[in-house]
Amino acid sequence: MAVTEEPGKPRNWSERIGVLQDRIYDKVFHNYVWQSIFRSGYPNTPRNQMLVVATNVFLHLHPTRIHRTHVKITHTYCLGGLTFFMFLILTVTGVLLMFYYVPDVNRAYQDIAALETNVKFGLLMRNIHRWTAHAMVILVFLHMMRVFYTGAYKPPREFNWVVGVILLVLTLVLSFTGYLLPWDQLALWAVTVGHGIGGSAPYFGDETQLVVFGGYEVGPNTLIRFYTLHVIALPLLAAIFMAVHFWRIRRDGGMARPL
Amino acid sequence: MAVEAQRAAGPAAPARPRPKREREEEVLVWPDLVFVEFIAAVLFTITFTILSVFINAPLLNRANPVVTPNPSKAPWYFLNLQELLLHMDKAWAGVLLPTIALGFFAVIPYLDRSREAQGIWFGTKYSVRLTVIAAIYAVVVSFGLVVFDAGDRNLTPEFMPTVRTEMLTRWIPSCPEGTDHVGFPCLKDEAGSPHLGITNTKDISKRLEFSVPFPKVFGNPTSDGELDWPRDLGHIPVPFNNVDCCYGSLHLWKGMYLNIPDIIANQVIPLVTIVFLALLIIYILFRLGWVRTKRDIFIIMFTAVLASYLTLSLVGSFFRGQGQALIPPWEIKVDEGAGELHPP
Repeated sequence: MAVTEEPGKPRNWSERIGVLQDRIYDKVFHNYVWQSIFRSGYPNTPRNQMLVVATNVFLHLHPTRIHRTHVKITHTYCLGGLTFFMFLILTVTGVLLMFYYVPDVNRAYQDIAALETNVKFGLLMRNIHRWTAHAMVILVFLHMMRVFYTGAYKPPREFNWVVGVILLVLTLVLSFTGYLLPWDQLALWAVTVGHGIGGSAPYFGDETQLVVFGGYEVGPNTLIRFYTLHVIALPLLAAIFMAVHFWRIRRDGGMARPL
Repeated sequence: MAVEAQRAAGPAAPARPRPKREREEEVLVWPDLVFVEFIAAVLFTITFTILSVFINAPLLNRANPVVTPNPSKAPWYFLNLQELLLHMDKAWAGVLLPTIALGFFAVIPYLDRSREAQGIWFGTKYSVRLTVIAAIYAVVVSFGLVVFDAGDRNLTPEFMPTVRTEMLTRWIPSCPEGTDHVGFPCLKDEAGSPHLGITNTKDISKRLEFSVPFPKVFGNPTSDGELDWPRDLGHIPVPFNNVDCCYGSLHLWKGMYLNIPDIIANQVIPLVTIVFLALLIIYILFRLGWVRTKRDIFIIMFTAVLASYLTLSLVGSFFRGQGQALIPPWEIKVDEGAGELHPP
């Protein structure tokens, strides 16, 4: 057996640096403040890896362990998670866009034009917002197809599928309400087509136009209505349904498995 | 190791590994899943940032309610509804059919309650085949119906200069001008234009005319002893419409009247067509023996709905020009209207 040396004075420079590194690591990660924030240690042991998932509010949407087949990328293609991630990007860029935008028919278009030219990274933020919005609609459809073709809507997950269908509708409506906000010709006439479709509802056509679009034609009322729906009402509603959606995944026993 | 040792010992020892326990099939979420999610998020962030650097979101002229771009189009995910509006009653196209489709999606798990074939892609025996066939069928049928309903349009002028679906019904004679009552079915043509067959389903309620002998009901003085299509059937009062009763005047049907030719052309024919074509493919695949479970039927229906949704979106995006005319993608020109050319 090799004789273990007593920890004593470092003999050369490399040992001195090693000791220094240990001390710094100790100071940073084992101090009172750090440990008040992160309860578990560095996730390099199975115990800490499970603890870090279980004790972190963002990660605890996951279980601590998961079946081997569900980690395979071809099982889900991350579609649901990516849809949620698009929602997060849209929230962040949307908040930034709100700083420069007033939902008034006399200002809206100029605000967008100024955002593109006068605001640093304004154009980039608007582009990201636009393209991720389209991506979210596509991803939501793909996610629904994944769930359908893997038979993941089957008992006991029936209700979560219904929540998913509601989220699909919310995504479409969110995208549609955002379409009007630049107040350019594309926005106005696309929403006018939607206004006509809403007005074709049997028996409640006029009421639909009045309640949803705020009038018998697309105008200032529609803009403020769509803005309010787009920035607060619908995202809030979507967030609530997402919370139910994610919660139910865990409650219904994680992702669907072959019997 | 033990199994290998047994295997090495000889064929007498059956080399069957014991079934793995559930726990052994599991991996830790950190790092195995969190890592994948992180990579996916990073890839998407980078992709969309690069995309947004190079491709700008569209911003046209300031909105102007008096200048209508031609064609004006809904966002792409609603273009299919806009496309349906061209072919049938607007209430069905814009509201009822999409509601039925979403309702159908929502009730799938309550109708298909078997627990089999879950958690794996295409779990039933013939599901891949059914999915592919249903998708191709829906794409071909949707596109075919769109072309058929634009009977006086020809999508391929270079190759087939004269093939139009309107020719199938061109044998129906042109209506003689100046007469109201005709016996044999005829098609009203615009003055000076060549005779056309039925160009789309709406023509059945607008251009097609015929009369059948009909007894004078209740001695109605306006009756001429003949029932004329579509003139005599276009304004049938609805029962209980504008009835004075109980709490004043009842506007139960908002003063609407029944337009039988319009209902036939814009509601009955399109809806019967949809239902018939859906049942047809299910029946054919059933007779072929490929539809075994309820889930197979739902696979066909779900696939067909999504595929026709996509097809109609693509038709609306790439095949609809000015006045929503059906034209090839390379001929689409958008008329921005006569408004100001530059943003204010």
